Amino acid sequence: MSNATIQNKINDTFLRRALKNFAAAYPVARAKAFEGVDFEALRSRIAQNKQIALQQMPDLIARFTASAERTGAKVHFCRRPEDARAVMLEIIRSKGADFLVKSKAMTSEEIDLNHYLEANGVRCLETDLGEWIIQLAGERPSHMVMPAIHKNKEDVAELFSKATGSDCPPDIPFLVQKARETLRSGFLEGQVGMSGANVAMADSGALAIITNEGNGRLVTTLPRTHIALIGVEKIVPSMTEALDVIEVLPKNATGQKLTSYVSFIKGSTGGDGHELHIVLLDNGRMDLAANPDFGQALQCVKCGACANVCPIYEIVGGHVFGHIYVGGIGLVLTPFFHGMDKAEEILKLCIGCRKCNEVCAAKIDIEGLIVDLRDKIRKPFGQTFMFGTMMKNRTLFHTTLRAAYLAQKPLQGDGGRIRHLPLMFDALAAGKSLPPIAEKPYRDLVQEKRFSSQKERVLFYSGCLADFVYPELCMDTAESLERLGYEVVFPKKQSCCGIPARYSGEMDVARDMARINLDVLLEQEADYVVTICPTCSISLKHDFPKLLAKESDYHAKAEKLAAKVFNYSELVARKIDFDSAQPTDGSLSGVEGRTIITYHDSCHLKRGCGVFEEPRTVLTGLVGAQIREMTDCDKCCGFGGSYSLKYPEIAREVLLNKIENIKATGTTTVAVDCPGCRMQIEGGLEAVGANLRVEHTASLVAQSLRRG
Amino acid sequence: MCDRFRLAAEAVGAVIKHFSCIGEARDYLMGIAGGGAVSCSTLPTHLRDALAIDASGTAVPADAVLCISRAEAGIAATGSLLIDLKGPEGRAATALAPIHAVFLDPTTIVPTLYDLGERLNRMLTSGDQAYFSLTTGPSRTADIERVLTIGVHGPIELHILMIEGCCHE
Repeated sequence: MSNATIQNKINDTFLRRALKNFAAAYPVARAKAFEGVDFEALRSRIAQNKQIALQQMPDLIARFTASAERTGAKVHFCRRPEDARAVMLEIIRSKGADFLVKSKAMTSEEIDLNHYLEANGVRCLETDLGEWIIQLAGERPSHMVMPAIHKNKEDVAELFSKATGSDCPPDIPFLVQKARETLRSGFLEGQVGMSGANVAMADSGALAIITNEGNGRLVTTLPRTHIALIGVEKIVPSMTEALDVIEVLPKNATGQKLTSYVSFIKGSTGGDGHELHIVLLDNGRMDLAANPDFGQALQCVKCGACANVCPIYEIVGGHVFGHIYVGGIGLVLTPFFHGMDKAEEILKLCIGCRKCNEVCAAKIDIEGLIVDLRDKIRKPFGQTFMFGTMMKNRTLFHTTLRAAYLAQKPLQGDGGRIRHLPLMFDALAAGKSLPPIAEKPYRDLVQEKRFSSQKERVLFYSGCLADFVYPELCMDTAESLERLGYEVVFPKKQSCCGIPARYSGEMDVARDMARINLDVLLEQEADYVVTICPTCSISLKHDFPKLLAKESDYHAKAEKLAAKVFNYSELVARKIDFDSAQPTDGSLSGVEGRTIITYHDSCHLKRGCGVFEEPRTVLTGLVGAQIREMTDCDKCCGFGGSYSLKYPEIAREVLLNKIENIKATGTTTVAVDCPGCRMQIEGGLEAVGANLRVEHTASLVAQSLRRG
Repeated sequence: MCDRFRLAAEAVGAVIKHFSCIGEARDYLMGIAGGGAVSCSTLPTHLRDALAIDASGTAVPADAVLCISRAEAGIAATGSLLIDLKGPEGRAATALAPIHAVFLDPTTIVPTLYDLGERLNRMLTSGDQAYFSLTTGPSRTADIERVLTIGVHGPIELHILMIEGCCHE
């Protein structure tokens, strides 16, 4: 993705406002739509049923085909996009027709149907309002459910004026009425109608179409021939599974309890001479369904929620964040539907915050699939040296970091912080200042020792960033854990957790790092392995067992380590004596003498480790602070590890949103549980001249315990 | 249940009216039609008779101002109507006419979509062909600047006429 294209979207003030407003409105509407519905139970059921369906895909296709043909419909199975296009052209030609009137179908966009038909003399008319706007503009949808979200009313007025030959003012009700009037003749004159379908049922051969505008009913009713173009993954066994899709889709897509129209269509009901053709599109789906690593991507019901909550989509929109299918799942499906060459660049755009996983209607591990797909992309020049040679060699890596302490000297400004970097690295400091690499990393400040007491034993795994940039945070961690009664040991041979390599698709290096750290961290018998970086936690706890699944000895070690890994707040929360820690409680608000702070949830702590209550418990119960929550407290800060190096211009915008929400709380302290978030947020606050301090929970605990 | 249905249907822009007999409903319908053409080809004969609209008075779908249908059932959670649309002419009218009025027997309202599951399944598995719809409020779009606008291709108004026993002949 070129930086100019990205910058272009960032500078598009209408797009930015539209997406920002949507990002704010969507969670509210969604929550209201799901009132009284157990979302977790619903999506678990969908995931399970879809999994089963994917395993039985050839059988389901055969059953659906037989049922649909019993109703009199003709079913065409098409392996490749060109097959589907040719079949549809043939159907249209066999009717002596040259005018296709269409309702919305992403499958049509997927196979670029309109261009092909138009080139073969068939006029195509999109009747979904958003799709019509896109068709008139000659663009592609920037959202799966709201295709024209990037267009403002002025754009639409201009397009409609040109299309209708009459002057259209930028007035939305007027424009909608204009579309109604203009497209009406298309419904009445269209010789062939085309729709997609949201779900197809194998037992009855019926389709269900979920729409809002009423055009779906018209294109399936008025023309004498109806073609439904459907991806084979939409087939479910029966109404039982279909109901769950119908229940979840409108709520998750647009925050509607149900759309205006859910149409069930079985066979042709158009009277004499009316035909129903069902074109089943494979285009890689059969192979994907059988793929053990990525098959779950086909559980997708195409609600678009992954885009709705994505902090990167919110900044750049779907023309950057996706190909034909946009949002998180778009990144995953693109290599399978359109080829890896179309996917390479967009796969790098995910920041890894996992917001999409939290809302996915089919419980797909979207972020995990994106990371795994990066293994398959071509690696940039230099990356292989960086990860393959340097990171794997701990001494070389740490020597390089030490050398960086000297190299950065000329760049440091007041207070030692770095505000500009030379040449191409300068973008890294855009919108924020950077902390310097410490003169002495934590590993040089601490004595190597072995466990010697009867206390509970903690192995401290600091992570590189804290070690080399925030050694005082590491000291605070060790000191506070000791004050809380633990014996703490820092094994000096610990090395990078391997996440930067894994996120860059260097899986072999990530595996090496996993083995190295497993040997170091299991060398002494500890009760807990404590991290102060949730990204390291994820790596140690979840990624190591996954990466080493095929190596029985190391996999056993990885499982053993995983059981001992705790985030700092997770462990410390256990030490809170609620009877004595809460005397000032009752009503936390406005308690005399309590420091008011706000708390930023790190993506990897909340959605990677499921930890979000514990830090708050520690901050109120142990530190004695009062928390004033910010808007979107669990939304990404824009750091994303090496992401802010790859896409500094996007990371900066994500950060600005965070800074705005922090400032609005009026507090003077931001607590975080991640050194990366700390670096990002304190740099952003400093750059805008906001006088707030950012502290890791471990430092706040240490300060509080020191005060006694 | 009836109140929950009303709240949900009104929240999506439907108009709900209660009538004690077909005669009252007839006056209301003639009022909203405002003298325009009426299509009621999906309406069961006994309701058509009771409304005193004979077949010759039924407009072609594209010309109708008002389309009158009957719901098989309602869903309280979403304010939705289950309408059988197997006949192509009546189906076209439900989407083409700017006003859609639907009779609903309040005793047929069920709590959620799932409570209709068995019935929907029966409608699909019996008979060779079927076309039916869950209709929730009037036609809508938010495709321009996400501004909710009622009435794009389908009806601009949806009136739900509640009469107990109106499903029975």
